[in-house]
Amino acid sequence: MFFNSLAFAVFLPVVFFLYWFVFNKSKSTQNALLIVASYCFYSCWDWRFLFLLVFSTFLDYYTGIQIEKGKSERSRKFWFWLSILVNLGFLGVFKYYNFFAASFSELLNSVGIQASPILLSVILPVGISFYTFHGLSYVIDIYLKRIKAEYNFVDYSLFVSYFPLLVAGPIERATHLLPQVKVKREFNFQTAKEGVCQIIWGLVKKVVIADTCATYANAIFDNYTSMNSFSLILGAIYFAFQIYGDFSGYSDIALGVSKLFGLDLLRNFNYPYFSRDIAEFWRRWHISLSSWFRDYLYIPLGGSKGGIWMKIRNTFIIFVVSGFWHGANWTYLAWGFINAVYFLPLLLSNSNRNNIDEIHLKFNFDSVKVIISILSTFLITCVAWVFFRAKTITDALLYLKQIITNKQFYFQYLENDRYNYELLIIIGLFVLIEWNNRNKVEPLSGKGNMLKIVIAIAAIIALGTFSDYKEFIYFQF
Amino acid sequence: MKRFLIYLSKILVLLVLVSVLLDGFYTYAFFQAKNRGKAEAVFNSVQQKYDVVFLGSSRANNHFVAQLFQDKGIKSFNYGMSGGHLFEASLMLKLMIKRKYVIKNIILEADLNLSSDDESEAVAAMFLPFIHNSEIIKKHFEYKEDFNELYYIPFYRYLKFGSSIGFREMFFSAIDKKTNAMDNLGFYPLVKHKNANMKNNIANLNPLPHNKYYEEIKNICKANNINFIAVMTPMCENVVGMNYFDKVKKAYPEIYNYENVVADDKYFSSCGHLNDAGAKMLTARILKDFFSK
Repeated sequence: MFFNSLAFAVFLPVVFFLYWFVFNKSKSTQNALLIVASYCFYSCWDWRFLFLLVFSTFLDYYTGIQIEKGKSERSRKFWFWLSILVNLGFLGVFKYYNFFAASFSELLNSVGIQASPILLSVILPVGISFYTFHGLSYVIDIYLKRIKAEYNFVDYSLFVSYFPLLVAGPIERATHLLPQVKVKREFNFQTAKEGVCQIIWGLVKKVVIADTCATYANAIFDNYTSMNSFSLILGAIYFAFQIYGDFSGYSDIALGVSKLFGLDLLRNFNYPYFSRDIAEFWRRWHISLSSWFRDYLYIPLGGSKGGIWMKIRNTFIIFVVSGFWHGANWTYLAWGFINAVYFLPLLLSNSNRNNIDEIHLKFNFDSVKVIISILSTFLITCVAWVFFRAKTITDALLYLKQIITNKQFYFQYLENDRYNYELLIIIGLFVLIEWNNRNKVEPLSGKGNMLKIVIAIAAIIALGTFSDYKEFIYFQF
Repeated sequence: MKRFLIYLSKILVLLVLVSVLLDGFYTYAFFQAKNRGKAEAVFNSVQQKYDVVFLGSSRANNHFVAQLFQDKGIKSFNYGMSGGHLFEASLMLKLMIKRKYVIKNIILEADLNLSSDDESEAVAAMFLPFIHNSEIIKKHFEYKEDFNELYYIPFYRYLKFGSSIGFREMFFSAIDKKTNAMDNLGFYPLVKHKNANMKNNIANLNPLPHNKYYEEIKNICKANNINFIAVMTPMCENVVGMNYFDKVKKAYPEIYNYENVVADDKYFSSCGHLNDAGAKMLTARILKDFFSK
């Protein structure tokens, strides 16, 4: 059940009605309804993996309590590591086993030892990386005594399985979401209205920007050997907007939907393509994952304590792990590594926190510098996206090589029966709208709300791509 | 909550209004189109007179050189549509009759397309802008599963078939940007491609025993005193021995088999499509067989 599907358009109003009109007596009834709805939502993807979600929920719930109750450090450690290993074990089996088995076999073959890997024919349970990380953060926080264990199973289950964030985040923290599910939600008109605006804007991002860019990016990436330099550059830009529109659009819909139920989720994107350096980009892109890795990997590894080399080592570790989190493929590892390399100059010059203020442009030289830094950050981000999108690292390298060596700059006719300049106008308008609203969560709310909604609806139905492409990229992670 | 429900209702009303307005605007734009595709051209046309009209899929569009007929003083036009099936060919003919076209002969390419009586989504969609203004189009689509959505939900057809009749096509229709669909009297010549796909496995393909739209075209011709000529057109050497064309001949004995009129692969652009030279050879042969006095 995609957020942009007809099924969800029916599902959401039904749950909304039941939530506020039938099950609104107490927080327990509200939570119970949301859990049932969440499990129905998840079952629509693949009911067979529902057991995995329930098991993962139960495991973290139980181990969390045992860690808190543990009288000795040994006992606390036992439950902590049990939870960590089982959680990562599931992730390893379902997501990474085939990759490791195939890579190991290739390695043996390359040194002359014949080996054929035993591969599992399993499909990846949707959202496993997201709900596993929910559970992990919860257990780690209890072990580190940052939070108390949750004894109400229904409340805890909702924290893990809440349907707007279940399959593609944002990756929530117990400190943020659990306190909200422990109280009865009262309806708030302003919040719900903001939610509706965020849903509509998320749909614009998804069906107008991401899905349209997808048809062009696919036509270019899938035929990159016959494309000229200009098309390949456009292909990388189209993919950059595809993945941004797709993922941030999903997050906007998730946050908007959640606001309809009176629950506030963590913000996941903050106009990342307006970043002035790569450090700022990572403070604005997939914020819930970046902060997760910062809090549960970077800081435990020592963070920036211990000198510059420790800082560099830890940065490389979190970026490579972050790349690997996205999927079992060398291209994701390369993407993570490249981002870490981008970070290097900032770390060495100790300037990774230079751009934390808001962006203001005026007619002066400093503003020109800001624009150049935004464009250059976007450029290097696009280069990294080529690795993320390409099927293999060799493809990515050949793609980039072709940009440099082809040297032909004219608009080409693409496999999708379109010239590839047509989309640039839509992207240009989109960037302009986002730029003018960069201090808001989304551009629709506020003054002229209804008019903006009309324009957004018109854009969705007239410019949206509905027939060619539907899926959300991050569902595969 | 009441305020919110009113707010939501307003958005829903706006959604419907925007859909209706856009539907009207798109439909108006497609009504102005004369130089885009064959469907719009026929729908927006007035009475025409033809000695020969060619119908069929790309294997008609790329195979029948109407100019060769024209050179002999036989007024003709190739209304074959790339990607089209017999569903669209039949609808095209119905619209021509409705527009009072006077046609002496129909040459229908009927071979691979006999294996299905489904529509070709992308090509059939070209007729959908006119569904509310043409009883013929409405009736033709009435049997389709999603007819009610296509007919009654404003803008649904433009949304569902965005790649055929979406914003881009509407925009080009509105500014009357010309395509090459109507050039060369409707014939689209192909060239020989270096890496052309010269393989096609049609061994397991079977013609339907009674293709609904083939029969429909035949009956329309009969009812309107149009001489109906159905032909099978050539395929590359790779398909020799796959007896699909024999199966067609058995099911439809009246269809003329031109499978082997052009046999050499050098006359093909791909396995199922003749190049320009091959198309001229085939057309010349048909001209000789049916129109030499």
